[in-house]
Amino acid sequence: MPKLKINGKDVEVPAGATIIQAYKASGQDICHYCWHPGLSVAGVCRLCMVQVEGIPKLQIACNTEAKDGMVVNNNSEMVKETVKWGLDFHLINHPLDCPICDQAGECGLQDQYMQFGAYDPEMAEQKVKKSKVVDLGPTVVLDSERCILCSRCTRFCDEVTKTSELGIFNRGDHSEIGIVEGKPLNNNYTLNTVDICPVGALTSKDFRFRQRVWYLKEADSICPGCSTGCNVKVHYNEEGLWRVKPRVNPDVNGHWMCDVGRNTYKYVNIKNRLLAGKVGRRDSWMEMSPNDATRTAGMRLKDVVDKHGPESVALVLTGQYTNEEYKDLLVYFVTGLKLKNIFHWVNNPEKLNDFDGLLFRGDRNPNTKGLEAALKLAGSKGRWEDLQAGLNGKKIKAVVVAGPEDQSVYPDMNEKVALFAQADNLVWFTACPSDALNGSGAETWQIPVKTHAEKAGTFTNFQGKEQKFPLATTIVPQALTLSEAAEVLAGKELNWALRPKSLGGAKNNYATTERGAL
Amino acid sequence: MFTLSAEGQELVKKELTRYETPYSAIIPALYRVQKENGWVPEDAVLHLSQLMNLPASHINEVLHFYTMFNKKPVGKLHIQVCTNVSCAMNGGRELADALCKRFNVKYDEVSADRKITISRVECLGSCDTAPMMQVNDRYLENLTPELAIKKITEMGG
Repeated sequence: MPKLKINGKDVEVPAGATIIQAYKASGQDICHYCWHPGLSVAGVCRLCMVQVEGIPKLQIACNTEAKDGMVVNNNSEMVKETVKWGLDFHLINHPLDCPICDQAGECGLQDQYMQFGAYDPEMAEQKVKKSKVVDLGPTVVLDSERCILCSRCTRFCDEVTKTSELGIFNRGDHSEIGIVEGKPLNNNYTLNTVDICPVGALTSKDFRFRQRVWYLKEADSICPGCSTGCNVKVHYNEEGLWRVKPRVNPDVNGHWMCDVGRNTYKYVNIKNRLLAGKVGRRDSWMEMSPNDATRTAGMRLKDVVDKHGPESVALVLTGQYTNEEYKDLLVYFVTGLKLKNIFHWVNNPEKLNDFDGLLFRGDRNPNTKGLEAALKLAGSKGRWEDLQAGLNGKKIKAVVVAGPEDQSVYPDMNEKVALFAQADNLVWFTACPSDALNGSGAETWQIPVKTHAEKAGTFTNFQGKEQKFPLATTIVPQALTLSEAAEVLAGKELNWALRPKSLGGAKNNYATTERGAL
Repeated sequence: MFTLSAEGQELVKKELTRYETPYSAIIPALYRVQKENGWVPEDAVLHLSQLMNLPASHINEVLHFYTMFNKKPVGKLHIQVCTNVSCAMNGGRELADALCKRFNVKYDEVSADRKITISRVECLGSCDTAPMMQVNDRYLENLTPELAIKKITEMGG
């Protein structure tokens, strides 16, 4: 393991590491654009200049291997001057349209210029004009003028997705990122190119012009889109969630996440949510608070158990909730109501083991493994045939369902509602309203629950890795978590003082439904 | 969609085996397209992409990097007049203007009879014989406007 001195600080790096990696390891700043830890080395931006003792000319840190005994610095006048001019050259043709640029606030060019720039540019040349709106595909827009040709996006498409949609066409200051006509940038990972673009050249159609990034807060979370459980950050304000971005975790998702996962903010927002409890059946519904709805449902369940015994109630769980919630809910149903009929609703069994080779898995539940473990612990042997037989034979009088948060990944929703509604009573916990449920013929309780962003908890991903996540924000304050619901079902009062408050009047986020177009 | 002739496809396949990386075969492949078609149409890139099993974007990168590939139709005689230093000092630019006037065509456009396209280009490496021009594959050197017009007419312009 080579040991070297970086700006006077001793650093030890793994063999084969480059100087820029040593800089990152030592926690010191170094100006760079084209280098990205998840991609190959291009060495095109020429900004990560360092002075290595014994080498007369400056070297680029990203493509120079760190060797034992090297003495490196990037704070000498020579380096500073070079980087300053390098940045100025990058800005020759870069438009100064930061006020209308979506990247402003999280822009590499802005940040680095503030830190390393010349401040008094001497470039008097006319800027080369290029196209400002190039439609690259269904998700990404290109502003050619802003592009500094770092080639991160083309390398991403070559190396990570291996789809090679993007290329750099033409030469010199005519160079532009582009696609070949008829081959749009259309894969499940396109929005990563927007993340790694250090300037505002690539922007997301879904997010652009919607929010200024400095008004958004961010919180760590886990993507609920599939069983991979990518580590993400959700960006939100008082109107709800606005976007999801990946967080680095080499064990799970590396630097990336998929476009499907980025859409998971949508169903969380207030416009798509079930806001009040609904009790009734087809065409006749009564609204009540989620708390009251749960309490009445709990009383009904107790009645059914008292009259017909614990075999007459079935609990159906989906892999969309946290380990903590499963535990609390099962404690009530297994030890409280002595239930044995506990079932695992698998939404698309034929696709369950699909995997696209990168991140996206066919199991569209974040916590299938966690649910399986919880069911095993509870001693459940529920087989789906038993449930069907019990319902057909009218032995099961009540079904309790912890339904999917995101119904779009449950293609069998209508079918299952029809099946469960054969029982006389149906208690359904759901985050989003469902047309299928509104047509239920059984006496039905629809009880709004919290989404992953509104509660702290743990998901167990496909590897069996338990990943904790904190509460990000509260969008529907009256909704319950399954843990709270279990308490209310058992007839306990919730501790209102501990209930999360909304972060300030959650408004209808108009953009939730109107986004995704150019 | 543009497709290469059977021989052309054969040649491209052979080129693919000649180099360490298949990417090196892109230039000969594009030249073959230009030879068969006079210029390289957009969809030829998709054709080559299938034929060579390479991403279309990377073929397009090569095509657009080099000005020697014609991205628009050219006349039967593509006349490239050098206007770099030596030729310019010896009347290359005037020569090019005179040709445009004589054949009634603007730079980089195709004449009405589809016979002629005139371009101004950078150094063709024949500075000792300035001014000079390249007509398709042929160098014509030590020119005057009159001489150039005469030669072009002889070649069928």
